[in-house]
Amino acid sequence: MQREDAAQLPQFILQAALDIVQDLAWTTSAMILKTIDKFNDLVVSVYVTDDHILNISKPIHFLHFIIHTRFMLLHDSRSDDGIKSFFQEVHELYIKSLLNPLYLPGSRITSSHFDTKVGALARKYL
Amino acid sequence: MADPASTPLGKMLLEEITPVVMVLCTPYVEESCLKNVPVRTASDQPYRLRKFKLRLFYSSDIRQPNLEVAKERLKKVITHVGEKNFLESSDPSQVNNLLSSKFTFDFDIFSILAVGFLGGPESEMLPSWFQFFNKELVRTLSFSDHEAFDHPVACLLVVSSKDDEPVNRFVDLFNTNKLPSLLNDGAMDPKIMKHYLLLHDNQDGPFNKATKLLADMRNAFGQNDCQIICFNSSQDGKIHHQDNPWAPFVNYLTLRDYYKSDALPTENLGGFLNLDDLNEIKDFMQELSSKHIIPYMEQKIRVLNQQVSATRKGFRNQIKNLWWRKGKEDTIDTPNGPVYTFNSIESQIRILGDYAFMLGDYELALSNYRLISTDYKLDKAWKRYAGVQEMMGLTYFLLDQSRKEAEYCMENAFNTYLKLGSAGRRNTTRCGLWWAEMLKTRDQLKEAATVYFRICGEDTLHSAVMLEQASFCYLLSKPPMLHKYGFHLVLSGDHYKKCDQIKHAIRTYRSAIPVYKGTTWSLIKDHVHFHIGQWYALLGMYDVAVTHMLEVLASTHQSKTTQELFLRDFLQIVQKTGKTFEVLKLQLPVINISSLKVIFEDQRTNASAAAARVKESLWRSLEEDIIPSSTARSNWLELQSKIMPRKYKESNICVAGEALKVDIEFKNPLQIPISVSSVSLMCELSANPEEGKLPKCMYICIHAFTVFLLLGGSNILLLYATADMGVLHDDCRDINSCLILSEVDFSLEGGETTVVQLTVTPRIEGILKIVGVKWKLSSAVVGLCNFEFNPVNKRVGRGRRKQHSPCSDLKFLVIKSLPRLEGFIHSLPEKTYAGDLRPLVLELSNQSKFPVKNLKMKISNPRFLYAGNQKELNADFPACLKKKMNVEKSGRHASVNKTLQNLYHFPEDISVQEETSLSWPLWFHAAVPGNIPLYITIYYEMEGVSSIMKYRTLRMHYNLQVLPSLDVSFQLSTRPSRLQEFLLRMDVVNKTSSECFQVHQLSSIGQQWEISLLQPVDSILPSQSLFAGQSLSCFFMLKHSPLDLIILKISLQDRRRSSTSEDSIPSLSHIQSDVRLGPQDNSEAFFDVSSSPLADFHDCERSSQGMSSQVVNFLALTFFICITINQNLMLLPFIFFLYQGCEYKVDFVFITQLPKGNSDSSSNTPLVFSHHACDCSPSSMSPISWLVDGPRTIQHNFSDPLCEVNLKMTITNSSDAIASVHINTFDSPSSNNQPIDDATASQPPEHQSGWSEIPIVNDTKIITTEALTTCVPKSLSLESVPQFIWSGTSSTKLVLQPRSTAEIPLQICVFTPGIYDISNYVLNWNLTPDGENQGEANKSSGVCQGYPYYLSVLESNFKD
Repeated sequence: MQREDAAQLPQFILQAALDIVQDLAWTTSAMILKTIDKFNDLVVSVYVTDDHILNISKPIHFLHFIIHTRFMLLHDSRSDDGIKSFFQEVHELYIKSLLNPLYLPGSRITSSHFDTKVGALARKYL
Repeated sequence: MADPASTPLGKMLLEEITPVVMVLCTPYVEESCLKNVPVRTASDQPYRLRKFKLRLFYSSDIRQPNLEVAKERLKKVITHVGEKNFLESSDPSQVNNLLSSKFTFDFDIFSILAVGFLGGPESEMLPSWFQFFNKELVRTLSFSDHEAFDHPVACLLVVSSKDDEPVNRFVDLFNTNKLPSLLNDGAMDPKIMKHYLLLHDNQDGPFNKATKLLADMRNAFGQNDCQIICFNSSQDGKIHHQDNPWAPFVNYLTLRDYYKSDALPTENLGGFLNLDDLNEIKDFMQELSSKHIIPYMEQKIRVLNQQVSATRKGFRNQIKNLWWRKGKEDTIDTPNGPVYTFNSIESQIRILGDYAFMLGDYELALSNYRLISTDYKLDKAWKRYAGVQEMMGLTYFLLDQSRKEAEYCMENAFNTYLKLGSAGRRNTTRCGLWWAEMLKTRDQLKEAATVYFRICGEDTLHSAVMLEQASFCYLLSKPPMLHKYGFHLVLSGDHYKKCDQIKHAIRTYRSAIPVYKGTTWSLIKDHVHFHIGQWYALLGMYDVAVTHMLEVLASTHQSKTTQELFLRDFLQIVQKTGKTFEVLKLQLPVINISSLKVIFEDQRTNASAAAARVKESLWRSLEEDIIPSSTARSNWLELQSKIMPRKYKESNICVAGEALKVDIEFKNPLQIPISVSSVSLMCELSANPEEGKLPKCMYICIHAFTVFLLLGGSNILLLYATADMGVLHDDCRDINSCLILSEVDFSLEGGETTVVQLTVTPRIEGILKIVGVKWKLSSAVVGLCNFEFNPVNKRVGRGRRKQHSPCSDLKFLVIKSLPRLEGFIHSLPEKTYAGDLRPLVLELSNQSKFPVKNLKMKISNPRFLYAGNQKELNADFPACLKKKMNVEKSGRHASVNKTLQNLYHFPEDISVQEETSLSWPLWFHAAVPGNIPLYITIYYEMEGVSSIMKYRTLRMHYNLQVLPSLDVSFQLSTRPSRLQEFLLRMDVVNKTSSECFQVHQLSSIGQQWEISLLQPVDSILPSQSLFAGQSLSCFFMLKHSPLDLIILKISLQDRRRSSTSEDSIPSLSHIQSDVRLGPQDNSEAFFDVSSSPLADFHDCERSSQGMSSQVVNFLALTFFICITINQNLMLLPFIFFLYQGCEYKVDFVFITQLPKGNSDSSSNTPLVFSHHACDCSPSSMSPISWLVDGPRTIQHNFSDPLCEVNLKMTITNSSDAIASVHINTFDSPSSNNQPIDDATASQPPEHQSGWSEIPIVNDTKIITTEALTTCVPKSLSLESVPQFIWSGTSSTKLVLQPRSTAEIPLQICVFTPGIYDISNYVLNWNLTPDGENQGEANKSSGVCQGYPYYLSVLESNFKD
């Protein structure tokens, strides 16, 4: 897929990796699933959030959302520590945005602040 | 697991890995065979016996197939399949049939179950052509040199009976020159079993000749190896077989034949063969295999086995072999390893293994393969090694042993082939295919998919097919891996596209759509849809292309260039279709349905769009008292319900000929500009079923009937029908002639949102329904949006029926045309300065044919706008505001009540006639700065036009921006030296940035005040103009005279009597309640603040600025009873004020003008400004006031050193309590300080303020009190050098009764001539609350500093 408009390729790879995440997430208690999928030289790592904690932390009427939040990262290098800390900090950011009562869990995060923060973290760790 | 042989892979292996029989034949044989249509009948015929198969090949085919040809062939196959599948799938009914129906659920457990249950047999889901393709792919590898199972086992030599000297021909046939190169170069064993066949065509001659030839053959080649076949027995070729005689073997036909079989006529297949011929062929093949080939192979196996056992089996042989190979190690350097000829021991072992494999002795095969594989490995003959590993894997599989071993072997083989690079490429493919098949058989579909993925190599077409197979593996795995499925389909589609297999690409992409449907992976979706659209366009299927392109149009997340690309391609495709599309849910631009706002006018009409946007509740509260009361309305509703069907009672009413406005918000989600044109509403206008259509229809019927009568009765039915058709035709015409729809064109920049107002004007009565909106995007595509299809909450602008469903909100009962007033206020400024006072003209025009009457007007903010008198319409402004000397004063028409309620009744004789307009004067006054909304409602009634609507209201809305102009503040304080006199300080600041105001006058309201300037204006403000930012402080004397009472009384009575008596005016005129601040020599008259409109506006100001007017009214009411006899209610407040004594309150009007010719003389420039201040009262009012009276100047001959001056202090207690006053006098200024300081400390600050007058050198200079209170004592102590002493007691105490005055004599002694300031005394007063009177309780005591009283004592030169 050496295409000039390869903007969708990362999405394809990450999306395809969802199958594996779905399988793996139920078999392990680890939050970070390292290198679960590969496409050419691109590697997918996944951070699975703890669903239960998330549910309790939400107000009661949100309980019916079963939130399976996964952060998926497509990368080529293998600096595991960096990826781990990156995921943890992004998780913190995500929880912060979840605390916003106007944010519907599972919807797109439109906050530009979140965006820039994640960008900064990516520069820091990856 | 089932029998491995019955699995797909097993079947394939049993078919593929079978003994090969080489066929050598003469041209005559070919010729006679060609008569039966299949090209290579006899030669390709396989025979099946107990799953034993032979493969027959022409000797010319026994070679490694040409790569290019093979590829071309595969490509053809794929193309063909693509065409076929594409045709099927492009049938719209089948679009969803195969897979998408199973994906209607999104990604959840249901879809997984659905695939599992609905999937049924896997073969149904898996396209069958994969099998063919795989086989063909495998077959391209046949006759490779490193494998033995393609080596011919036997050779079948065929000679036709037509040939000359058949026996010699047989010998010629097996000439080494003609043999395949593989046999000649030693890779294959040329010494193979030979079988001789004589072919006799019955059409060519009698059988006898053939038998003779056979006998010769048998003599020459041996009894057993020669045979004859007679065929083509049928004479005319008319024998029709039930089915294709080759059908049982067709699955063994090559793909080429599979491909051809569709094209070839099948009915004549084998037409020259009769049943006997077929049986003969069958028998021959059976005999050949059972009597010759199998025994031969068994024989060979036995021989080879012995050979191998002798050389390689046993411990000794192994050691020897190992050692021998070790020694050989250094010499071998070729990449493919050593070359093995057929008679080398390695080849022999391999042949042994392959033969054993072919005959089903897998154990033997496996042991031999194992044996040879180590040898090849040691020899680094990697290709052979891989081949053997591959076979080992297959053998393991067929033995159904040790899955792990099998997989290991396959992987080993695969990797080894892979290492070989391009040379082993195709072997890799075959190995991978087998491996994948093996995994699939064992339900390891996920692994199979990875193997397929690994097969992908440089050949994109093959990769595409492999990827597609991988995707199916993912789909069929349990649980289905749909994401992977989609991804691999897309990958495969990309590969197909690269090989120009567009149809395949479309097919795969389309299969992937359901996977991504309903997800938020927008980039993926855009990619998929966009490419499908593009590819369809390449195929010329623009209609389908457009539907896919529509999906990506509103891709907000894409970059600008991508959006441009999408839009451009979309428009190109649409252009190519050559027609305009109507798309129901076009995403471009986005319509914000919730922004939908319908503005319609029933009895409520709007003068402007601004008025329509005002909240309905605001209008309703404003209109409350002018529209007919609720009881009247219920009657009106009852009336209405009789006329209208119940169904439409609820629906909105609009009037024919009047436009309905619909505001809709369009948003461009993209970053690139788009152009939208021809935006219009879609409406339906139908006749009112009960009111409109029936009467009309009946009317026409009656009409028809009369015609019929006149004609003399020919055909009533026909006429009736015609009449009906007329109505129908009328209905059909509706959209064209009965509705006027507006069309709007606009273009939207990236991300822009615009609100578009669309109108529809019904021209006839009926029921109008607004269905939706349509627009044209880039003049290519028509987008439609139906309002009702969107269950979004809709708020119809007028809000009256919010609880109704949107449908009913968009449905209107159109009633007959009614008069509708248009209203406009001329020259109402949008922006002005506070205080602006000007006349305006309200113009009401009636365009209809009917007059309207009973006009009423209500204005939300009477402080700003006020209805004038009709005769003021053409009055000269501002002259009309001025006081008119010696002419009758225009009485204040009893407008107090009206003003308070903001309601103005037009005189009853006023009506707006048809097609005329009415002008009415309005007074405008910008009372306060700020953004001021003005709401005006005009109510009017129509006569006998409609029974549904009897009145209408016209709503006008204006927004004013009032800028601050002059900040006027007043401060009133008692004048210390005078009772009933006040000092008024006026501070004016010009807050504008550019305007210059000319001060004109200050007037006090109420005639009991006399106002005069303390010093001429020229000295304060020589220019009489206040420039921007300039401030002005001005002092006035305000005098309150109780005498005014009588005059006022007279003047008020005058007014009541409409100023009939002339004599009262002079007496009034001497009260100077206005002060001219402008040029003093100007003879210009004052503005009359006591007449309309200034007085009216002042009333409004009063009512809004304070509660005092109500207090006045209340008090007036209490006095009402007492003075009713006097018949003069207007006096009461004044009387009250006068007797109240201390409650001095006064209102001021400050009037300025813009200098004429200052600004441009446009009509919109304000001319007069009036600023109103109400209820100004003295800021500090001590209940005790006093006056020191005495001589100002005395002459004294100081030969008598003591000069006594007698002074008189008049103290007034104006409170209701008894006051005790303590007067302290002190002589020295130093002792003066202490009590003052005490006073400042103990007293609240307001007691210090107050105005004092100090005649210093410059008499006009004014010092404010604040400065005075603090600095005066000190300055006095410094300045008053000459001393005087108080004579008499230094402290006097007296008690003052409420509202009483007392006089105290004071005396001072002066010793030298000079000017003395007699202010060094302090009044301490104390109020003793008199029982119930608590009013002044908080001011029960105080200290008053004496004010300066200057006494000049002169030396008298005259002797007495």
